[in-house]
Amino acid sequence: MIKLENISKVYPSKNGDVLAVNNVNLHVKKGEIHGVIGYSGAGKSTLIRLVNLLEKPTSGKVYINGTEMTSLPQEKLRKTRQKIGMIFQHFNLLKTATVYENIAIPLKLLGYDKQEVKERVEKYLSIVDLSDKKNTYPAQLSGGQKQRVAIARALSQEPEVLLSDEATSALDPETTDSILDLLLKINEELGITILLITHEMNVIQKICDYVYVLENGDVIEDGSAINLFTNPRENTTKKFLNTISQRKLSSSLISQLKLNGAVTRLTFIGENTGQPLLAQVSQKFQVVPNILTANIIELKNGIVGNLVIHLVGKKEQIDASLQFLENQGVGIEELEGN
Amino acid sequence: MEMFIQQWLPIIGESVIETFQMVIISLFFAIIIGFPLGILVVLTRPGQSLENKFVYQILNLLINIIRSIPFIILLFFILPFTKIIVGTTIGVKGVIVPLVIYTAPYIARLLESSLLDVENGVIEAYKAMGIKTRQIIWNVMLREARPSIVLGLTIATVGLIGATAMAGLVGAGGLGDLAYRFGHLRYEVDVMYATVFILIVLVQGIQTIGNRLAARLKKD
Repeated sequence: MIKLENISKVYPSKNGDVLAVNNVNLHVKKGEIHGVIGYSGAGKSTLIRLVNLLEKPTSGKVYINGTEMTSLPQEKLRKTRQKIGMIFQHFNLLKTATVYENIAIPLKLLGYDKQEVKERVEKYLSIVDLSDKKNTYPAQLSGGQKQRVAIARALSQEPEVLLSDEATSALDPETTDSILDLLLKINEELGITILLITHEMNVIQKICDYVYVLENGDVIEDGSAINLFTNPRENTTKKFLNTISQRKLSSSLISQLKLNGAVTRLTFIGENTGQPLLAQVSQKFQVVPNILTANIIELKNGIVGNLVIHLVGKKEQIDASLQFLENQGVGIEELEGN
Repeated sequence: MEMFIQQWLPIIGESVIETFQMVIISLFFAIIIGFPLGILVVLTRPGQSLENKFVYQILNLLINIIRSIPFIILLFFILPFTKIIVGTTIGVKGVIVPLVIYTAPYIARLLESSLLDVENGVIEAYKAMGIKTRQIIWNVMLREARPSIVLGLTIATVGLIGATAMAGLVGAGGLGDLAYRFGHLRYEVDVMYATVFILIVLVQGIQTIGNRLAARLKKD
């Protein structure tokens, strides 16, 4: 549905060219939600604007639903954009227009007749659960409500694709959750394909099927959300993971614990919490597993459990027990002290 | 007091009407010229939808040149031009042309700053929805800038009233002319006071209306 092929964007500047996006490939299939995560300055905002050509790529091709956007003449591009919804961090509503007008004005400008405009505004206001606010001005709404209006405005054009530019970054955690639920709902019920950018790992965790980690304009790692959460490769990815769960123990503590055993992170996929496995390990191998940290992360497509254990026992016994755990399909990562 | 009113009311009344005539007619034409000019300056700016360095620079230069000439000089400087446009250089008719030329670039500048204050994000959102540039100008930029445009026009109107005071020099009458001819040249201090008082009331009134209207248009 959304396909970027070798997309690059270079901004010329006095101190040499700035490479904002470097040779990015990305493919969002119909009905999926993909997320691009990165720190500020990584090129996320530029990347998402390349999709609907608010920014013209320096090289590469953009396809939306099979149409090559990059070669479209201005007028065709404008028409195609009508089928690509977009929502923003700062909502970008008209301050001087009511909630109703904020949705109705673009529809009118796009040439829908009065009756159709009215029906659509009411339909999508009810989907975002704001029917009672239709005569209110944005200044009187909370951030979450403003974002709902912006979502209704995007949906009212019945797009096939929704681009989300840090849509929850200006919202508090609770409101963020409700907006994410709404995005999930429109993805599931209306079948809208979503590409989002964010710097919040919990956004990825809650609604994304597939993740790209962007750093300095490069996609440094990508994979299904489950893969990335269970088996992160890059340091940046690990840092992002640390933001949602306390995965990190101090290296001095690890060093101290390693004096009489091993400190290991176990990763479980699915609902298997690992508890029975640890009991088996201690019976079979005469080691004492001691749980240091434990958490469960609920992803859109599954559950990932994380356990950091201290295995106390003889070296051979520890190695054998880790081998046993690995054979049971548990992810093993030895933690290093200083 | 009664005598004063009887003696001066018709003359003052006439001056007020002349001032109103000059202000309203010049404001009307200054808006017709100043608005497109202001919009064009914004749209041809680097990074905007009709980016054109050449046009942008020319317009900027033109506006700056006219804005640097004091009205009293402009009035005489463009006499030949005034003659071509309205066929005369005197009376209310003769002063309208310089008043318009004087005010239009001012309005253009005020509009420019109002439009530049409109959040870029909203404009971007409308672009992303596939809405035409022309429609964005009307329905996003001018609409969102309305409160500040009203305030700008209020400022322009007050400035225009000030400029009409010099209209007496080409025989166009008005309040300024009254104060000068009767109040100053003939030492009729009362007339001077009366005129100043009327001008104060006029400017206060216009500013108040402008502020109220802007506040009503503003929704946050």
